[in-house]
Amino acid sequence: MNNGSARIAGAIVTYGFVGLMAFLSIFPFVWMLLGATNSSIDIIKGKMLPGSALATNISTFFTQVNAPLVFWNSAKIAILATALTLAVSSLAGYGFEMFRSRRRDRIYSALLLTMMIPFAALMIPLFIMMGKVGLINTHLAVVLPSIGSAFVVFYFRQCTKAFPSELRDAAKVDGLKEWQIFLYIYVPVMRSTYAAAFIIVFMTAWNNYLWPLIVLQSNETKTITLVISSLASAYYPDYGVVMVGTILATLPTLAVFFFMQRQFVQGMLGSVK
Amino acid sequence: MDMRTYLPRFAAIALAGASLLAVTSAQAKEITVWCWDPNFNVAIMKEAGARYTKSHPDVTFNIVDFAKADVEQKLQTGLSSGTADALPDIVLIEDYGAQKYLQSFPGAFAPLSGTVDYSGFAPYKVELMTLNGQVYGMPFDSGVTGLYYRKDYLEQAGFKPEDMQDLTWDRFIEIGQQVEAKTGKKMMGLDPTDAGLVRIIMQSAGQWYFDKEGNTNITGNAALKAALETVGKIMSANIYKPAAGWSDWVGTFTSGDVATVITGVWITGTVKAQPDQSGKWGVAPIPALSIDGATHASNLGGSSWYVLESSAEKAEAIEFLNAVYAKDVDFYQTILQDRGAVGSLLAARGGAAYGEADAFFGGEKVWQNFSDWLAKVPSVNYGIFTNEADTAVTAQLPALSQGTPVDEVLKAIDAEVSAQVQ
Repeated sequence: MNNGSARIAGAIVTYGFVGLMAFLSIFPFVWMLLGATNSSIDIIKGKMLPGSALATNISTFFTQVNAPLVFWNSAKIAILATALTLAVSSLAGYGFEMFRSRRRDRIYSALLLTMMIPFAALMIPLFIMMGKVGLINTHLAVVLPSIGSAFVVFYFRQCTKAFPSELRDAAKVDGLKEWQIFLYIYVPVMRSTYAAAFIIVFMTAWNNYLWPLIVLQSNETKTITLVISSLASAYYPDYGVVMVGTILATLPTLAVFFFMQRQFVQGMLGSVK
Repeated sequence: MDMRTYLPRFAAIALAGASLLAVTSAQAKEITVWCWDPNFNVAIMKEAGARYTKSHPDVTFNIVDFAKADVEQKLQTGLSSGTADALPDIVLIEDYGAQKYLQSFPGAFAPLSGTVDYSGFAPYKVELMTLNGQVYGMPFDSGVTGLYYRKDYLEQAGFKPEDMQDLTWDRFIEIGQQVEAKTGKKMMGLDPTDAGLVRIIMQSAGQWYFDKEGNTNITGNAALKAALETVGKIMSANIYKPAAGWSDWVGTFTSGDVATVITGVWITGTVKAQPDQSGKWGVAPIPALSIDGATHASNLGGSSWYVLESSAEKAEAIEFLNAVYAKDVDFYQTILQDRGAVGSLLAARGGAAYGEADAFFGGEKVWQNFSDWLAKVPSVNYGIFTNEADTAVTAQLPALSQGTPVDEVLKAIDAEVSAQVQ
């Protein structure tokens, strides 16, 4: 009896806590969805019910924002950055784990240390570099600094530790060159790692704000995050329109996440061959 | 598969990618402008540009809109890095931050004195962009303040529009108590995390957190002391409806919960956005303090245009600003009508839009009144650290509301600001 009521009390505390956390993480999302259907005035008043302004908000968003252009800009940056980051950083992670040398761990530590430097400290030197090579206001300038990501290298090296070295030995016996082992053995086996890294890198690139803000200079090169920031900082922001923009900006990351999640699980199952 | 067949293909793809990414550089006579707010500054600058292009068909405008904080961040990075081609030709800077940029980056902005006739502008706008005798900007929108009041609520409490003119703050609080007793409405909305009201009251008596030389002016600042006392009295008389943040504060009067609004003229559009309140509002000068130098005119916010010294189109940019913003009275009528923007050019009041009686305000000529007050706003030096001082004041507002003596509050603000300034 005593034991039972303690268990019930425990369950109440647990579920209460979990429920509260779920509410805290879901509420902003629900509020965003509701906000998109209300007029700015209703949102300010704190209306919590679906409204009738969705069509107006959507049409205002598409008249104020050159949506195809900004989404194309964001997509171009995110896809290029993801492809290049995965290519470069997975090679580096593979290399760090597979090849032994005396300086390997010192170089690796130095690489990890670069994660400690806040981006704000790198911003101005990076900006001067981009200015010198004439890349300011290009999407290349947004993509380039992100592709040698210390975090992704670290992630790939850690995952490579689980890569069965027998596979590499067997491939060598069969006469494969190192790049062939990487491309035909390592990449397919490490699909799950690539899927997880893809999600992380794509989301970071899509949501990237500070550096694109600094280096992009014109309406033609701007990304969706910059456009939403501009809409939201008006003296009288139209919050309904901001919510529509936020929802649209969230969709690609959501899609990538749900799509890659399946790949992720398949990769996990397939990795033990 | 041979690696050699891959390499040229990779190179070709990489090259194609790079050329896709590159953006064509600006044409000869294109003036690039950075500013914020698509419905206000951006729209107004587009109107100005269109007017100039009509008489100068070879000049086009590229108005780039970023958030305000983003413009500041980009300007800061561009100036710090010394990468001149990364900067626009014209940039919008908030008045409170003007001296910070002018003093931190000497030589970065083009002086316009000599070209622009500054005697035509509200003096306080010119003063804030003056450094070492040179004037650097083109004065733009003003935040000249007014006391917006609900005629219907005040009438219920026994006050006529005449009773609302040229009040003192003490009288304002008395009226507030009677309004609440008779109508149940609070006198005003007040956001305890926003020092805007303190700034309004302080500037109305001709002082600021900094003196004319830029030294901190807090413990010996009679206007700041009186402003804090006034806010303290409003709080202890409990004639305000507390608001959490800007949107909530706007909600206090759009919902009809309060009888007055004291803020910059740019709020007019929001007040008028409630058609059911048409005819119920009046506008009077803000109350004055009872100290030396007190006036009924003040300012909240506002920003101005600056030309970058490094701009390739510097001469054209200055010529453009001078032709439209310093001379075109008709332009000011258009931006007042379309965007509710009150500029700082005093001659604008002579135009048709400024002369119109506004039915929303019961037929008052509100723009003429604002224009009168605009010329009377006391000039102060916003200095380099206005935002820091503001944060310090905001941090002390809770102590003030709990009845901490004003002198102690001032000392705490002074300590905070001195620590930040050094």
